[in-house]
Amino acid sequence: MDLRETADESAFRLEARTWLEANVPAEPLPSFDTAEGFALHRQWEKKLFDGRWSAVSWPEQYGGRGADYIKWLIFEEEYYRAGAPGRVNQNGIFLLGPTIMEVGTEAQKERFLPTMASSEIVWGQAWSEPNAGSDLAGIKSKAWRDGDDWILNGQKIWASRAVWADWCFGIFRTDPEADRHRGLTFILCPLDLPGITVRPIAQLDGDTGFAEIFLDDVRVPVENTLGEVNKGWGVAMATAGFERGVSLRSPARFSEAVNRLVALWKRLGDKSDTALADAVTDVWMQAEGYRLHTYQTVTGMLEGRPIGAEASLNKIFWSEMDVRIHEIALQIIGPEAERMEGPLERWVDGFLFSLSGPIYAGTNEIQRNIIADRVLQLPKGM
Amino acid sequence: MKFSFTDDQRLFAEGLRELLANECPASHVREVWESGAGHSPELWSHLSGMGVLSMLAPESAGGMGGSFVDAILLFQELGRAAVPGPVLEHMAVAVPALATSSFGEALVSGESVATLWVDDSPYVAHAGVADLVVHRDHVLRSFDASDAHGMDGGRRLFTVAGGDRTDANVTVAGLDPFDAMALASAAYLIGLSERMIEIAAEYARVREQFGKPIGSFQAVKHLMSDALLKVEFAKAPTYRAAFSASTGADTLVRDISMAKALASEAAYRTSRSTMQVHGGIGYTWEADLQLWMKKAWALMRSYGDANFHRRRVSGFVLA
Repeated sequence: MDLRETADESAFRLEARTWLEANVPAEPLPSFDTAEGFALHRQWEKKLFDGRWSAVSWPEQYGGRGADYIKWLIFEEEYYRAGAPGRVNQNGIFLLGPTIMEVGTEAQKERFLPTMASSEIVWGQAWSEPNAGSDLAGIKSKAWRDGDDWILNGQKIWASRAVWADWCFGIFRTDPEADRHRGLTFILCPLDLPGITVRPIAQLDGDTGFAEIFLDDVRVPVENTLGEVNKGWGVAMATAGFERGVSLRSPARFSEAVNRLVALWKRLGDKSDTALADAVTDVWMQAEGYRLHTYQTVTGMLEGRPIGAEASLNKIFWSEMDVRIHEIALQIIGPEAERMEGPLERWVDGFLFSLSGPIYAGTNEIQRNIIADRVLQLPKGM
Repeated sequence: MKFSFTDDQRLFAEGLRELLANECPASHVREVWESGAGHSPELWSHLSGMGVLSMLAPESAGGMGGSFVDAILLFQELGRAAVPGPVLEHMAVAVPALATSSFGEALVSGESVATLWVDDSPYVAHAGVADLVVHRDHVLRSFDASDAHGMDGGRRLFTVAGGDRTDANVTVAGLDPFDAMALASAAYLIGLSERMIEIAAEYARVREQFGKPIGSFQAVKHLMSDALLKVEFAKAPTYRAAFSASTGADTLVRDISMAKALASEAAYRTSRSTMQVHGGIGYTWEADLQLWMKKAWALMRSYGDANFHRRRVSGFVLA
């Protein structure tokens, strides 16, 4: 155990910090869930890519730096420290990308990864359906073979980024006879094909960060299949593992938020309120605990101990922590907590957004079931 | 940056787990409680033989020459087995602090048994089974110990009077003995919690109601998962605190306090949830769970409770 940075890691941190300080936009970009903001975030991703910072943990041949997970965490720390824009293509770079590297063919890697790293193609996610939310295995959207094509039919919902994204990934029922988790296939699909209708859904904050996707005889070539036919559930679970585990919500995000919370408390907090000071300290310890836990997890991954169902613990932890950070902030800012625009709007926006955390990527109740079944080995059942 | 234990550290901890599975099963802990012994000399000699008690003593004094990083998994394993007697006090403070003193040889070998009195409690845990009571600035021998009727039969409480006093400067590699104990207790509490979860999970797999194992019900699954969550997220901060203690990091006091606050809260939450999973049997003397719960309730308050340590962290973070 040595929790100090190596010289190589410190040099990497410095390189990242220097580049970010020179390149991060001075003013925050508009939300990427608006047309203008989406375009500006895509430009930012291109800039990151040109500096080879868009996917630091990817192999160099696909536009990355071949950085290990420790360096990736260091990059994330610097990224949040610099106040850099949100990652509009995180569905691609952090979820689908690692999945393609794990199960994709060489041709798929060549075809999809470089344009993903540069955000020439931005990815949306199309998993849930109106009747397949927590019960994701209840998917009814179908794909059937017609020559060298899949014909897709059905309806997806809560498809994040799908309003402005170029492509989406989803799972479809390819064996109508098979039950539940069997007979599903993971398929990649452009969003501008004939037969696709995207209907934006306004989120709690009014922005259209997700959408419904209607698929009506949509034709995609079979080479867009990721992994084996009828084995899509396993592929999707690998992707979900990345989402719940380390890659979607890196600890830096919360360390940065909690540092802002401490600064907010120093500026506006009632210092005679010891319960409030305790609350701020508690959530500081949570963010620090999450950071340490992640460093321990990625060291384990580097040493050949991959993360399994424990990823569900991470997902509950970060999502509940994020809500708590913002609850405390809103308590501190008092009357400003009611305003959608104003000097402290970031905390209000952040609060609304944090409330999605315990729901998406599998509700926290589903995560608790997974932990109970697969980590604690309790009997299956509802 | 490398946040993991070496193979040697892991193997040593596994060896200790095996030893304790054989020599310190729940039935043995219960026997120590119910006989009123409060300590297990047989087990003590096994721990001495394996080098556990002398882990933190320098090799030149006959110890294992280990650091807190070497010892932290051992504290955790001792907790998993709810090992009775003053093993933490002896191992984490008395041995390293006094290894080169006139008391050293007998302490390192485990022949003499030490406990601590370094907080402002009127009671001294384990004094009735110890040869020495170690204070910050002196060591007591031949003292009178009167039973103060502690709740945990493996950690009996006493009041102490009289005794022969020898001056000593008791620090552990620059660490205050109170902080060394806070760190050791945090790891021990994590071990206790892990075992409480195992005991309750086993019960939930076999106990049936409504024709099904109760572990198949979501209300039970969620209680258990939430307890595990708290325990798992107390581990990395505790290991980090051990690293800070081993390297004398500037943040050492903050890091130890964070560990003790999180481990204390995790252990209490775990005790409540696992008892609840047991239903009526959880409220009985007969259920082994109580051996772990009462130890948790004793240690979560010892060497600073969660509030004390949270406030100490506040002092660093909100300053």
